[in-house]
Amino acid sequence: MSYAYLFKYIIIGDTGVGKSCLLLQFTDKRFQPVHDLTIGVEFGARMITIDNKPIKLQIWDTAGQESFRSITRSYYRGAAGALLVYDITRETFNHLASWLEDARQHANANMTIMLIGNKCDLAHRRAVSTEEGEQFAKEHGLIFMEASAKTAQNVEEAFINTAGTIYKKIQDGVFDSYGIKVGYGGIPGPSGGRDGSTSQGGGCCN
Amino acid sequence: MHETDIHDLSDDADYAAASKQFECLGGEVKGYWFRGSSSVTRSDSSKKSSSSDPEDAQIVYLKDNVTIHPTQYATERISGRLKLIKQGSSLYMTWIPYKGQSSNPRLSEKDKNLYTIRAVPFSDIQSIRRHTPTIGWQYVIVVLSSGLAFPPLYFYSGGVREFLATVKQHVLIVRSSEDANVFLVNNFQDPLQRTLSSLELPRSLANGTPSSSFRGSPSDNNNQERLDTVTTSEDNHSGSGQLNIRQRQKTHDPARDLSIQVLEKFSLVTRFARETTSQLFRDNLVDGHGHGQSQSQSQSQSQSQGERRRNNWASKDHQPLEMAPIDDPIVPKLVPVPSDPIEFDKLSLVWGKPRQHPLGVEEWSSFLDYEGRIMDPDALKKRIFYGGVEHNLRKEVWAFLLGYYSYDSTYAERQYVVSVKTAEYMTIKNQWQSISPEQAKRFTKFRERRGLIEKDVVRTDRSLSFYEGDDNPNVRLLHDILLTYSFYNFDLGYCQGMSDLLSPILFIMQDESEAFWCFVSLMERLGPNFNRDQNGMHSQLFALSKLVELLDSPLHNYFKQNDCLNYFFCFRWILIQFKRQVEFEYDKTLRLWEVLWTHYLSEHLHLYVCIAILKRHRGKIMGEEMDFDTLLKFINELSGQIELDPVLRDAEALCVCAGENGAASIPPGTPPALPIPEASIYQQQDDEVL
Repeated sequence: MSYAYLFKYIIIGDTGVGKSCLLLQFTDKRFQPVHDLTIGVEFGARMITIDNKPIKLQIWDTAGQESFRSITRSYYRGAAGALLVYDITRETFNHLASWLEDARQHANANMTIMLIGNKCDLAHRRAVSTEEGEQFAKEHGLIFMEASAKTAQNVEEAFINTAGTIYKKIQDGVFDSYGIKVGYGGIPGPSGGRDGSTSQGGGCCN
Repeated sequence: MHETDIHDLSDDADYAAASKQFECLGGEVKGYWFRGSSSVTRSDSSKKSSSSDPEDAQIVYLKDNVTIHPTQYATERISGRLKLIKQGSSLYMTWIPYKGQSSNPRLSEKDKNLYTIRAVPFSDIQSIRRHTPTIGWQYVIVVLSSGLAFPPLYFYSGGVREFLATVKQHVLIVRSSEDANVFLVNNFQDPLQRTLSSLELPRSLANGTPSSSFRGSPSDNNNQERLDTVTTSEDNHSGSGQLNIRQRQKTHDPARDLSIQVLEKFSLVTRFARETTSQLFRDNLVDGHGHGQSQSQSQSQSQSQGERRRNNWASKDHQPLEMAPIDDPIVPKLVPVPSDPIEFDKLSLVWGKPRQHPLGVEEWSSFLDYEGRIMDPDALKKRIFYGGVEHNLRKEVWAFLLGYYSYDSTYAERQYVVSVKTAEYMTIKNQWQSISPEQAKRFTKFRERRGLIEKDVVRTDRSLSFYEGDDNPNVRLLHDILLTYSFYNFDLGYCQGMSDLLSPILFIMQDESEAFWCFVSLMERLGPNFNRDQNGMHSQLFALSKLVELLDSPLHNYFKQNDCLNYFFCFRWILIQFKRQVEFEYDKTLRLWEVLWTHYLSEHLHLYVCIAILKRHRGKIMGEEMDFDTLLKFINELSGQIELDPVLRDAEALCVCAGENGAASIPPGTPPALPIPEASIYQQQDDEVL
């Protein structure tokens, strides 16, 4: 399975907002409400095509509970994209700032961040308006989308639009050869050209 | 820790300089300290010296807080006073444990007497081996001419160097040509050879080893080189770079390493090591053939392919003289992999006993007296360690293992405990059940916890029939127990991972209150894993890194160079004790847990389980040059590939092999050890990780 690029994504956000369900919907096109809660990290992968180029997305689905933050921080390294997820029916919106702070601190500054208001199928229980989400994204320079892992609404778009943005950054030369895990040609290099990236990678896990 | 009437002034230069002569105060002498060649005395006429001192003897060295570790439990350590006594032209060594200082009731005076060393003449001593672990205390192992050895003597207050210097002043000792840390007493032969032959090792072990280094063959170039550079100067005491290199070289001679291990194992004259070692010498029929072949093969391999790798490995840490036979033939090797320094395959054969069938009902009843007391808890734990428990017995046995029942309780007492504890559980449960919706509105913490727990119990083991389906009452029980626990231990509250630990317990106990109290007992040990700062996890990952450094330095170096020393890839293994079908099948999880809960051999067997698994894949990890991300993913995806029994056997082997060095690598109070209430005297040197 060859690909032009390998993008590492990380999905972050409070526990129970639907991170694993979004991943499963994207990789397997199904919704599984009953699944094990995530301890540490789970992985998913899918090939997509952008600009006629095959791109492999390697997706890190992290545990959301506060106590695991110190571990989660070690996962940002090399991520090209992040999906920051909240639940439109719960107070999780209030914690976005701290998630964002973590991401800014421990990931590459050029990492593309997509804000996702999940569970938009539960409009009748909505606690966060679309406008609030939009506003937050605007203020912090994020891409924004409301989605539903259950109905699959906007799930494809969320992952693929993020990849599109990353791809454009590569075209524009925003990304250096390091700091972002960009694989070439099918064999993901063992150290992914990360040499010398320490200055950008943050000092979370040395 | 151990209060003494003597202060160690060995580091006090002024004090040391004040006196330059030996003084002979006979029975009145209480303390001497040495610094270099000068001696310091202090008399203390208020106390009589130990009656075991030979009369008219001169105490030429005295050190307090010299301690032995009969088991791996910090509470079972025995501290005492080490002395060197000169009488006439003879030098004697004594080590007398302190009286009545043990906080542990399990340590009787009789136990202590077992270890007391009473005036052993140096003419009976063959060698002294010094150990300087990177973490923990320095210790020495004194090997007698008979081949027997005393347990390692840990110098809590330092002083190994002075000890050896003093010995050197009075007895002819030379540094072994084989190992700079071995000091031969009145003996210029190779201590390993003599010790090994006196132990009557099976011939296959000695013959099958290709390297003749421990037989001192002059044809061995390496050995010759080492002989040339041998020094007996004490200037080299604390490990100069040169010495380190030489030691490292040594660790890559598997034959020698195994023999060192054997030597040291034999020295662990402890309750369990004694039988383990005798078992080893009787049963060990290791096939040593073929090793030489693989070594020479891999040697040429390393010469042709090893260049790149050699640059990556810190050359002083790793001498790519030999490469391991590929331990997993399916895996394509991209780069040569440094051999496992302790010959893991053989090690497991030597040390890991075959697993047994699970403990059954009939055998279980043989452990109970007529009123239901467990007559020999240690024997029971050992039995469970090697075989586990039949499923239908688990409900009863787990209650003991977890500490809900005490081993010396009778049937009647247990019945009583159950009723009292059930009532107590209901009281605690009622605390949150009585919170009205109105009150909950004003109780954010409660709502948050309840919300978290509600979300998690429906995501815990739902594929098991016990928990599957809508409105499953067992899921409700999980919820109630966890919420009750978060009130019972409000400070800790609820953290993800707890539901994973509770689920098998409820599945086995089938009773809300009993499951709760068993869970409470488990959390007494594992609670620090769930602290907000996760200090329990961090100390375990730290200990894990130290153990890997001890047991597989090439793998440790690999992790170090690839920024993997935080061992986060083992995080889930440790947090939920290898649960999740990803690592083991559910039934295997139950088996593993009951084995771990015996705390037989070590409270920290789970760390050795981690290493056993890592070692099984070390060839792939290093051969494919996995970086942190790849390694994490690889470990995550080891689903169903882990066979429990072989891994347990390997873990046992590693644990036995690591011995006291291993125990010293684990900071006291590291979960699942019970927290240590008082401040620890352990000197943590966490300069590398976390």
